[in-house]
Amino acid sequence: MKKLGHFLLPYVFGLVILAAWEGGVRMGDIPEYILPGPVAVLIALRTNFGELLVGLGVTLQVTVIALLLAAITGAGFAFLMAQSKLAERMLFPYAVILQVTPIVTVAPFIIIWVSNIFGVLLILAWMAAVFPIISNTLFGLKSVDINLRDMFRLYGATKTQTAMRLLIPSTLPHFLSGLRIAGGLSLIGAVVAEMVAGTSGEKSGLASRLLEASYRLELAKALACFALLGLTGLLIFTALDWLSRRLLRHWHESATDASQGGN
Amino acid sequence: MAEAILTLSGVSQTFPNGTQALATTNLSIAAGSFVSLVGPSGCGKSTLLRIASGLLPPSTGQVDRAFSAAPGDVGFVFQDATLMPWATVIANVRLPLEIAHTPAPDAQAKAMAALERVGLADVASSYPRELSGGMRMRASIARAIVTNPRMLLMDEPFAALDEFTRFKLNDDLLQLWQANRWTVLFVTHSVREAVFLSERIVVMSPRPGRIANDLTVQLPPTRDANLRLSHAFADESARVTNVLDQAMEHTP
Ligand SMILES: Nc1ncnc2c1ncn2[C@@H]1O[C@H](COP(=O)(O)OP(=O)(O)OP(=O)(O)O)[C@@H](O)[C@H]1O
Ligand SMILES: [Mg+2]
Repeated sequence: MKKLGHFLLPYVFGLVILAAWEGGVRMGDIPEYILPGPVAVLIALRTNFGELLVGLGVTLQVTVIALLLAAITGAGFAFLMAQSKLAERMLFPYAVILQVTPIVTVAPFIIIWVSNIFGVLLILAWMAAVFPIISNTLFGLKSVDINLRDMFRLYGATKTQTAMRLLIPSTLPHFLSGLRIAGGLSLIGAVVAEMVAGTSGEKSGLASRLLEASYRLELAKALACFALLGLTGLLIFTALDWLSRRLLRHWHESATDASQGGN
Repeated sequence: MAEAILTLSGVSQTFPNGTQALATTNLSIAAGSFVSLVGPSGCGKSTLLRIASGLLPPSTGQVDRAFSAAPGDVGFVFQDATLMPWATVIANVRLPLEIAHTPAPDAQAKAMAALERVGLADVASSYPRELSGGMRMRASIARAIVTNPRMLLMDEPFAALDEFTRFKLNDDLLQLWQANRWTVLFVTHSVREAVFLSERIVVMSPRPGRIANDLTVQLPPTRDANLRLSHAFADESARVTNVLDQAMEHTP
């Protein structure tokens, strides 16, 4: 019973907040173009469901592809840097610059240089997502057990054998933790990119629809977009967390039973 | 005495940071012998072992091995078990064979046999984190012997274990050695362990690391757990402790 209460706690909290919001909106007679209540948002979600789902599909597509690209290029970049101190010294500052540059400030250039709008969105979301993957993977590659390295050397392992059997498995937990952070950043990147790139029409994503709705003072619809984006972020994180646990379940502390106490 | 399987001539080691870990050292190990290396912390025991294994090229001098330097001829047991946590116990033990492209069924059979020899056959498909410290150490020994090495190098393999487990593993190691007659070079902090296991004890002293004494253990070559309770063992341990103390005193 106590466990069930523990499980339900965040949901009960959320419902109470929503109920207070709905009550406040009704009692204060607040017009819908200022602040719609959760019921109005739900209705907006239902009436625009088809359109919003298409938008969500577009945003999700950008997010997922950018994340995949970030995973591949980020891991590759880190691998390159791990090859030598010199390579790291040469390349890492640029990775940091990539990270600290707000994508809003580069967007105008990318839009000029890349004519394909989908390409623009991908590049911007990739920029937002790639750094944690580079930095975590690099950290993982550098913390491979020195004795295990010696053991591989002792038995005359080739570079490929060492990479496949030692470096990759040993770095995997760090890579995955980078990937989990990158998942959220990729979504944020995709949303921001849509907003600054100003996509519109049939092929526009959820963020553009949010902007559109708010310009037309359809706040209920805008909030529905907002809620969908939030849910999507949660979904991405949960999926990546699941993937991480699944891949590491046999051996890594982060995925063993001891660390799952809460669930 | 049997022929030397390993000879270090004029070997010394100075690390890039200027630490002289090993002064000029000459050491010859007879084939099939069990030699222990004792000495205080930081006197270069691990360094000597890494040089013997070929992992560390010495700053000066020469290492001669009386066997091909083929991978698998030298087994190395590190101070901590150094198992791959992502692989099952048997996959860990198979690794040296797989690196050498041994056909899979053959590698599996050999790995299983090695696990049987150290008494771990029933946890072959467990992961290292599911084993106790002593079991992990035994898995590590199984990996070192799976290639049927000519020489086994062990760097304080039992240092982290409690005395009961350590005695048990000492007995097991002694039996394995008596059955297979590998050449063993064994680093330890424990004089009693060195006396119990070895035919010969090389005493090292620090700053810079060098060989301070070289003793033949005066105990019967065939031994078992009962030896630990005998007077002869107590006396021999006392004698070696004395020599070790002297080596420490002469330290500048
Ligand atoms: N890679 C290295 N770079 C610089 N100095 C090192 C390196 N490895 C070891 N040393 C130094 O060389 C000396 C001998 O080290 P070594 O590890 O061989 O000692 P040890 O006898 O094995 O000690 P312990 O019993 O504590 O394991 C120490 O002073 C150590 O600080
Ligand atoms: Mg050492």
